[in-house]
Amino acid sequence: MPPAVKKTSVSEDPQVYENLHVHEVYEKIAVHFSATRYKPWPIIAQFLSGLPEGWIGLDSGTGNGKYLPLPENNSVLVGLDRSFNLLKIARHAGSNNAVREVVRGDVLDSPWRPGIFDYAISIATIHHLATTQRRKLAVQRLLQAVSDSHGRILIYVWAIEQDELSKREIPVEDSTVSEKTTMGQDVFVPWNLNRQSTRSDNETQIFNRYYHMFAKGELIALVVEAARELGLHIGPRGRDQEIKQGVDIVQDGWERSNYYIELRRWKA
Amino acid sequence: MVRLITHNLLACHAKGCTSNNFPLAFSNVQIEIREAEFNPEFLKNFIPKVEWNALVDTARQLGDTSLPLEQPEMLDEEFLKSLHHVLLEIHVEEGVMTCPNCKHEYPISNGIPNMLLAEHEIG
Repeated sequence: MPPAVKKTSVSEDPQVYENLHVHEVYEKIAVHFSATRYKPWPIIAQFLSGLPEGWIGLDSGTGNGKYLPLPENNSVLVGLDRSFNLLKIARHAGSNNAVREVVRGDVLDSPWRPGIFDYAISIATIHHLATTQRRKLAVQRLLQAVSDSHGRILIYVWAIEQDELSKREIPVEDSTVSEKTTMGQDVFVPWNLNRQSTRSDNETQIFNRYYHMFAKGELIALVVEAARELGLHIGPRGRDQEIKQGVDIVQDGWERSNYYIELRRWKA
Repeated sequence: MVRLITHNLLACHAKGCTSNNFPLAFSNVQIEIREAEFNPEFLKNFIPKVEWNALVDTARQLGDTSLPLEQPEMLDEEFLKSLHHVLLEIHVEEGVMTCPNCKHEYPISNGIPNMLLAEHEIG
């Protein structure tokens, strides 16, 4: 029985808060965390295996790089993360002696030539950002990183609505309220790190990671607002000659305790 | 890992640095050469995205002069093999990348380029 997820609220500077409750935690739990993160989720695997040959992608918040070996057709996926310890693992993700392309950086920065990627994925990352503004900026960075004529994007975030198989118990005070609201829930999710202590018994250290758990409809609303602010039309390319560029929502839904959304940019 | 395929995507993003901020110049590098599987189709599809001058200049900084200054129209096997080697087989393990415009330095350690900026440098 894992310790329960606890409610929290972001009271400090969000960058300081994320440093303490996200980045520092991942640096410390990297090796143990990585050992539990090896199974790719089906929709992501499907997205990556269907990409054209020669495409270049960005994995924004790559963590231990479990998706980096996945693209078939010799598409290349570059992993971006803030955690140096996770990137050291991500470098060697997958089999053989293959080395992966990884870059240390922040998902709110843009250390690339604009629009240079053909596709971008952001899996289980944006939910670690501590304000709506910052989560929206992360989406905008993805929209700006990919080609304005054909860029494809897949985003996954943790949902308040949890799978029956999930071990987590989520503190929701009133389910009727939570269904109506589009506001998510800020929580701490504990990570138990077993350490061999100097004595023979094990010591368990608990690290709380910050998550913003998304409510139903919150991810799509965030994406729509992010895209509109960049002057993008939402929806498929239509007959209207006035509309120069946009982003189509290819699919969105819920899978195994996560919300996901797939996007495709287009230009007239 | 910084191979030139990734280097060709990177640009300086320090505060106010928005032009002439590419390509980052290598210095004090340690290089390893590792063989990679040759895939001509991948290369042909990637070529349109390459900033050619940046790639040629950077390869020369690292001591590889196999690429022509002008991107050839005929993509023969010899050319593709040179391109393959430059993009995918030269690994920069340690070193520094410097912005040609603002001179900001991005270190590379354990094959990982650090593009993080300090708070006051973020644009």
